[in-house]
Amino acid sequence: MTTPTEPILELRDISKSYGSVKALTDVSFKAYAGEVIGLVGDNGAGKSSLIKVISGVHNADAGELIVDGVARHWKSPHDSMMAGIETLYQDSGLAPDLTIGSNIFLGRELEKKGLLGKLGFLDQKSMEARALQELEKVGITVPLSKRTVLQLSGGQRQAVAVGRAAMWAQHVIILDEPTNHLGARQSLEVLKVIRAAKEQGLCVLFISHTLPHVLEVTDRIIVLRLGRVVKDAPTSEFTVESLLGTITGLNT
Amino acid sequence: MSTVETPVDSSLEAPPSALKRLVGLAANQQFILFLVLVALMCFFDFHNTRFFGTGEFTNLLVDFSEAVLIAVAEMYVIVSGGIDLSVGSTIAVSGVVSAYAIQYLETHHFGEFPSLLVGTFACAGVGAAVGTINALLITKARLVPFVATLVTLSMGEGLALVFSKGATVGYDPAAGGWSSTGFWIFRWLTIMVLVLTLVLGIVLHFTRYGRYTFAIGSNPFAARAAGINVNRHVASVYVLSGVLAGLAGMVWYFNTSGGAPQNGIGNELYAIAAVVIGGVSLFGGTGRFTGIIIGVAILTVVQDGLVFINVSTNWNEVVVAGIIALAAIVQSLRPGMKRLT
Repeated sequence: MTTPTEPILELRDISKSYGSVKALTDVSFKAYAGEVIGLVGDNGAGKSSLIKVISGVHNADAGELIVDGVARHWKSPHDSMMAGIETLYQDSGLAPDLTIGSNIFLGRELEKKGLLGKLGFLDQKSMEARALQELEKVGITVPLSKRTVLQLSGGQRQAVAVGRAAMWAQHVIILDEPTNHLGARQSLEVLKVIRAAKEQGLCVLFISHTLPHVLEVTDRIIVLRLGRVVKDAPTSEFTVESLLGTITGLNT
Repeated sequence: MSTVETPVDSSLEAPPSALKRLVGLAANQQFILFLVLVALMCFFDFHNTRFFGTGEFTNLLVDFSEAVLIAVAEMYVIVSGGIDLSVGSTIAVSGVVSAYAIQYLETHHFGEFPSLLVGTFACAGVGAAVGTINALLITKARLVPFVATLVTLSMGEGLALVFSKGATVGYDPAAGGWSSTGFWIFRWLTIMVLVLTLVLGIVLHFTRYGRYTFAIGSNPFAARAAGINVNRHVASVYVLSGVLAGLAGMVWYFNTSGGAPQNGIGNELYAIAAVVIGGVSLFGGTGRFTGIIIGVAILTVVQDGLVFINVSTNWNEVVVAGIIALAAIVQSLRPGMKRLT
């Protein structure tokens, strides 16, 4: 993929405090379409605060957030969704009792045509069919979208969740610990979906404590420590040891 | 989230064979419930052949219509992940308030139909008020639904006694006469209740409103992340439940020709029982409308049937307890009911 000249997401001197605690200090970086960026740091380094600012859960105290060339101020997470940023939080995931298709379209249900649609009747058939197509595009094959999420394995569940984000995102997907709690083989399924999203020209922000996964799937790594960006370099410049050293501050 | 590897069962991809379909049917809880219902009716008819007579069927349907609205209300609430203990006492308080309204209008020569219509709106209004209090306690004061609706349960019971001074308000022969006419085995009132019930079932399973109710009960975090206004939706479910309980109060008013403070008291437990028998998870997020309809039917048939085979009504609760236990045990034995934790 040719490197686009304009960043799809740009942060300029973002700062955020909670009371007297400074969570983020002058965080700046640029992210491009078709790029997978690893966001790493120790607990309390500011990863969660940063993604909350990008996804609209919190507002930054200072600094600029630019999406696709437009400066943005989110009023709610919904605003960021509408601007093409999908976020997969650690604790949200899917509704286990609903079918895969219903989960994919949760909050964006297709309605029947005509009067029934106006009354809120859902077009379940189209949703199930389109869910299968769209999931296939990002490399997920599920046997039947009529299954409930409860009937899937942990890896498949997470793959569906990431697939949903990839399907709806226009510009950026933020993945917060998507391979947490997953076994080795299940993690591979999720990493496969991340690569497929990259192929589709999306920018992926990958937050993880599992450094081998970060090194495997990302193009560039941004290291946060005590609320500041301490390193922003191509993944090829890191090894697990050097990355760990940068995170903990042993080497800079 | 579970980390257990469960390989995809490829057999589910293939078109089901005849045998598989038969096994699938046997595992279908709705189908089992339906068989239980039919078996119960045959049992009671075997012991007293009048049970299947049209007169008794009409009574059965009247009793069914008294119970079904609060059961459906309870289903919406439980599917959304909550519980509503106040539906029974709302029947009492809304019936009493409505009885006063009807009494007032009829003594001022408003005519039967307009008075009853206003009474119906009064019932729905009282129910909406109870539902709104529940909604505020749960979404604003952040009380757990059990405690919030326990508050309104006691409040409703108390206010019904205070308003009525402990006695039935307004004996209304007009209401009794109006609800005793009908068509074939259906009374007009029964038909109206059944139509409303059917609409509620369709809304639950085929519309956006129903879908959000299931989603919130299944995983409120996922629902919120998907852009659903969880608090607003939960509040609306409790108001809906209140309105339905209020309308049930009007059904009781018609059937007992007055607003009695003991009407419907304790019936929240029957509503919850019907929901449990119908296979709805008390954790929220699952359940079929047909299941609870059969659940209500089973409870109604058992209670009416016991009278028919000359078993003392004192045994009612004991038999109902047995049915609930049985249904809950059958449910827990079903495979694939493990939940995400």
